[in-house]
Amino acid sequence: MKFSKFSALGAVVLGLATVASAAEYPDRPINMIIPFGAGGATDISARTIAEPLGNAVGKPLIMANVTGAGGATGSVAAMNAKPDGYTMVFTRVGSHSVNPAMKATLPYTLDDFRYVTVYEINPFACAVAADSDINSMDDLVAKAREGGVSFSSSGVGSGLHLGGVMVMDAFGIEDPVNQVTHIPMDGGGAAATAVLAGTATFLCTNSSALASFVANGQLKPLMVTTAEPVVGFDAPTAADLGKPELEQLVGWTGIAGPKDLPDDIAAKWGEWMQAAANDEEFVSRMEAVGSIINVMSPEEANDFIRGQYSTFKALVDRLGMRIEG
Amino acid sequence: MNFLDNIAAGLSLVGNLEAFAALFLGVLIGTIAGAIPGMSATMAVALTLPFTFSMEAITAILLLLGVYKGGIFGGSIPAILIKTPGTPASSATVLDGYPMAEKGQAGKALGMALWASCTADLISNLALILFAGWLASFALNFGPPEFFTLILFSLTIIAGVSGNSLLRGALSAMLGLLLATVGLDLVYGTNRFTFGDPNLMGGLNFIAVLIGLFAIPEVLSMVWEPKPHVGKTRSLGKNSVTFAEYRRCFKSIVRGSFIGVFLGSIPGIGAAPAAFLSYSEARRKSPVKENFGKGELEGVAASEAGNNGVAGATLIPLLALGIPGDVITAIIIGAFMVHGLQPGPMMFILNVDIIYGLFIGLIVSSVFLLMIGSVAIRGFKYVADIPRGVLFPGVLVLCIYGVFAVNNNIFDVGVMFVMGWVGFVMLRNDIPAAPFLIAFILGPLLENNFRQAMLMSGNSPDILFRGPITWFFWALTLLTMVAIVRAGIRATKDLKKKNI
Amino acid sequence: MQSIHRQTVIGLAALLVSAIIILIVIPTWVSSPSNVRNIVLSPVFWPYILSGMTVLIGLGLVVTGFYSSENLTHEPNDIPGGYRRLALMGAIMVITMFALPRLGMVWTSMLIFVATAALIRSSHPKTALICAVLVPLALYAFFAHVASVAIPQGDYVRLP
Repeated sequence: MKFSKFSALGAVVLGLATVASAAEYPDRPINMIIPFGAGGATDISARTIAEPLGNAVGKPLIMANVTGAGGATGSVAAMNAKPDGYTMVFTRVGSHSVNPAMKATLPYTLDDFRYVTVYEINPFACAVAADSDINSMDDLVAKAREGGVSFSSSGVGSGLHLGGVMVMDAFGIEDPVNQVTHIPMDGGGAAATAVLAGTATFLCTNSSALASFVANGQLKPLMVTTAEPVVGFDAPTAADLGKPELEQLVGWTGIAGPKDLPDDIAAKWGEWMQAAANDEEFVSRMEAVGSIINVMSPEEANDFIRGQYSTFKALVDRLGMRIEG
Repeated sequence: MNFLDNIAAGLSLVGNLEAFAALFLGVLIGTIAGAIPGMSATMAVALTLPFTFSMEAITAILLLLGVYKGGIFGGSIPAILIKTPGTPASSATVLDGYPMAEKGQAGKALGMALWASCTADLISNLALILFAGWLASFALNFGPPEFFTLILFSLTIIAGVSGNSLLRGALSAMLGLLLATVGLDLVYGTNRFTFGDPNLMGGLNFIAVLIGLFAIPEVLSMVWEPKPHVGKTRSLGKNSVTFAEYRRCFKSIVRGSFIGVFLGSIPGIGAAPAAFLSYSEARRKSPVKENFGKGELEGVAASEAGNNGVAGATLIPLLALGIPGDVITAIIIGAFMVHGLQPGPMMFILNVDIIYGLFIGLIVSSVFLLMIGSVAIRGFKYVADIPRGVLFPGVLVLCIYGVFAVNNNIFDVGVMFVMGWVGFVMLRNDIPAAPFLIAFILGPLLENNFRQAMLMSGNSPDILFRGPITWFFWALTLLTMVAIVRAGIRATKDLKKKNI
Repeated sequence: MQSIHRQTVIGLAALLVSAIIILIVIPTWVSSPSNVRNIVLSPVFWPYILSGMTVLIGLGLVVTGFYSSENLTHEPNDIPGGYRRLALMGAIMVITMFALPRLGMVWTSMLIFVATAALIRSSHPKTALICAVLVPLALYAFFAHVASVAIPQGDYVRLP
């Protein structure tokens, strides 16, 4: 008797719980993890999309910077969250294609996430200091063959790190890992400063990080990696230079959830992103910093990220750049 | 366009109510945010950023700058009242500010913090306006080897904040340096002391270590000896700072301001080392050295001058070169770019009206800071009157919220607790906490710049002596070391005399 | 000489810690890749230097401890049971770490507030109790709604 009462109560509670979870998603604010620090490219991108995306979602989006280890700390936090769609993470080229390709002991893989979109692409550009005697990629490559050329990055396993090696490799430098010195700096801003101050010879990073230096005549662009020339960058494209394979080398920002995220929630994100990307103000703001807005569906995003990952993975394995420890 | 035209153009840009209101609001937001432990100036600026997208460019940037300046001052309020620095920059203020509060002189300490902040702010802004171009080109001469020698020199500050025993101070510093090596290796990206925990891969959160080291040991001491009703009166003290006291500290304030301007104009150092360096210089020059660390007004003045001196000067590399000197200016650069402005040399030609508008706004912000700061001090004075049996649990809860908010990570709360126990053991054994903190800040900079220099030169140590700047700092380090050793020998002799 | 000076004890502790770090922690928990070209650049170089210097400082502390006349011992505690209370505080902290993600930050903070106030024998128990409820709520309201921080909510009772 007692037991049956108890179980009846249990059933009611359970029923309530299911009703609660069956309520229209989302019924409360969504926690959006930004795995990089305030002021970085991901952070600016995330906070710019927050408003139009929040309008599309209909519930507030809470932006939470969880910084550390090149985006790993925040990505792990998202990976371990409940797959209920209330914890999502902003993904970025460094944390979700370069770092998984390079670091063996990274506590997550691509399979731990369900990618719902990639909405922003930043072309990469390579640049040297304006007073340098290097005026073209050919000059740079010739100098690299002699030795003594270095490039700066925002850290090991970042897009800048792989980018520098990938470009040198594409231009036929043998053993670029040892021929060209990699000087890791603390963050993307410091990487650009290093080239400006003469600490490193060149860097390859997303064009938005370089735009103001190029406009001010402090840095000289040598190449951009998109098919089309980038406005404000007086430099040939990778295809112009006969290296179309470098078009894989682009920065991007997307959104992902834990791997068990249900299909209907992923689909909803696809719709919301389409709505958010129609916001003209958002588009013009992102284009002002040199980005290309192109919203991918969950399937396209997944293919895009995996494609980039396998390109990078092949390069890393071929050059022995894998970080084992 | 000549200078006057430029000023006129700038005035026409900021000469409206909206711009000044934004600046005022910014300083207000910053002061309040800075006064809440864990809500650093960085967070406040980051949170304000999205609201500025729809504003005029100059209004948006003035709002953010206001938040920045208010935040740096606001951090000193909890540092003095509850030994919990609101921002890393105000950790040096704890050293003498909290003992003053314990003595019932919180009002005086806060007043001095405000006056020193505003003076330093003004000096820093003037330096920005007058020497921006020159200082910026100087800052570009700083590569890894120069940084390495500068930071090596800065580590000698440890001697100034070691208290009674240099050896125990050095031990504390070593522990700080060791703890700072936790995380990913810079050059190879391998794990160091992460014990398989992904939370440790990013290293220990600085704010968690800071609050754990300063605030939690106070709570634990209270637990060890619960005397909530006894003890010194902790009222604000009716007296505020007098002009005579301000004049006495003026030299230290100006010195601190220039230290702040110098370190601020070099990207990548930040306000906390400037505050500590200014503090240790003030102590070194003071006739009453032994009072430092026990509630010396000049110590508060020097620390606050040091960290506020940085605020205007970090805009030097930002405006003149387009380089962010720290995280806050990195966010502010974002605001420039969203409005289609590109900071750098071209901005002085293309958008000179905005530059001069900013200059005018910055000067005004020092005045606003003084106004809002005096009100804030009056508002926060009630904290000093809260009975300790309620205050300390409150501080503990506040620290939990604050530390979580910094990086949205519960793990950091655990780091804070563990560091609290470390700090408590150190407190009980008279091992000073300040060297630990300085070492924790400077350690990664020292190691990384050393290794970057080695990468640049292909492992040749010659690069550490590559120019006049490195030589200058090597000489300075050597001189300071000699002075420290001589002072140490003298102290030992005195001790022996006393024994006999 | 009635006992060993405190400074010597600190020095010995420093020696012990650095020995553990050099002999066990660095070899096990710092991985150094095989392709390191120069010892100076190796990830283990800096930790070894630091622990080596800690050994030197520890030795210095041990030696100076024998000559030091500085009085480092604290006066005995007026209120007995200090260690017991510290142990309880430690337990509160451990429980906090478990409760934060499950109970949520607001409810956990209320419990911490009450427990700590009791532990330090608050002279204003009623005020403490009222604050124990109000302070976490006020902080939640500020952080969650003004600063828009995602304060952990826990599995049971959610706040708006």
